[in-house]
Amino acid sequence: MAAGLLVIAIVFAIWVSYGGELFTKTQILVEKKDELFGTTYKEWKDHFVWGLDYTLYITGATVFVCGILFLVFRRKKAF
Amino acid sequence: MKNILQTLFLTIVFAALTFAQGFQVKASGEQTFNFKAGGANQASFYSTTTLEDVQGLTREISGSIIFDVNDFSTVHGEISFPVLSLNTGIEKMVKDLRSDSWLDAEKYPEISFKVKKAVNIKKVSESKIEADVIGDFFLHGVTREDTASTTITYLDESPVTQQRMPGDLLGVQAEFFINLSDYNIKHMLLGKRVAEKIDIKVNLVGSNKVSL
Repeated sequence: MAAGLLVIAIVFAIWVSYGGELFTKTQILVEKKDELFGTTYKEWKDHFVWGLDYTLYITGATVFVCGILFLVFRRKKAF
Repeated sequence: MKNILQTLFLTIVFAALTFAQGFQVKASGEQTFNFKAGGANQASFYSTTTLEDVQGLTREISGSIIFDVNDFSTVHGEISFPVLSLNTGIEKMVKDLRSDSWLDAEKYPEISFKVKKAVNIKKVSESKIEADVIGDFFLHGVTREDTASTTITYLDESPVTQQRMPGDLLGVQAEFFINLSDYNIKHMLLGKRVAEKIDIKVNLVGSNKVSL
């Protein structure tokens, strides 16, 4: 149980460190300057951003695994 | 004498107004500018959702526009890009965007803007004008007339511009807004309600010596 809580805490901490975005991104937009026309445009740059969706997937999986382990050990104790 | 002066005055005013509608550059007459996909050429959309804003971009935008250098109101042409080229940086969102519940890329593979004319032309400098460009915007099987606020910069061919591409160069920045419901598009993307009003921006650089 403690291990599960630790995993969830770490995952949420990672999410916050990536800026607390809602969706996980694999690319971000960066601004570039067009020197000839004095204008700006954007380009995609490969950059992973951990989002809340990943955080919730891992949290859900952790809760599921912890739940299974809890039931297994509880049954063993009963015997 | 009075009539001659009046005629001369009217001619000068007419000439001034005509030049105010276009560029004062080396080229004259009708010019065709082609915009090839890639580089700084791109179209982007921006929308707000209840929890996070959505931004998408494509660099596979291409097309041509034709106009009289001295009278930009004559502008016409077409710019388009494939729906499949739109990217938001979020894989699941890109799949949703292409699906039949949103842009339906399979049924309507292209988004286009057919330029018809320009009005409210304002001269910023000899090589730069601002105008409202009117055209037909085609999206999700629906065509509607829209007006884009546009800034157009004309650069005569020079050693500096030749480093970019041959010929005279035309830089276009345009912005317009659409309502999703006008194009029969639902407001849900990845389970989040997207704003009805979408901000579309276009940045193009083309040449009159490059073919598509």
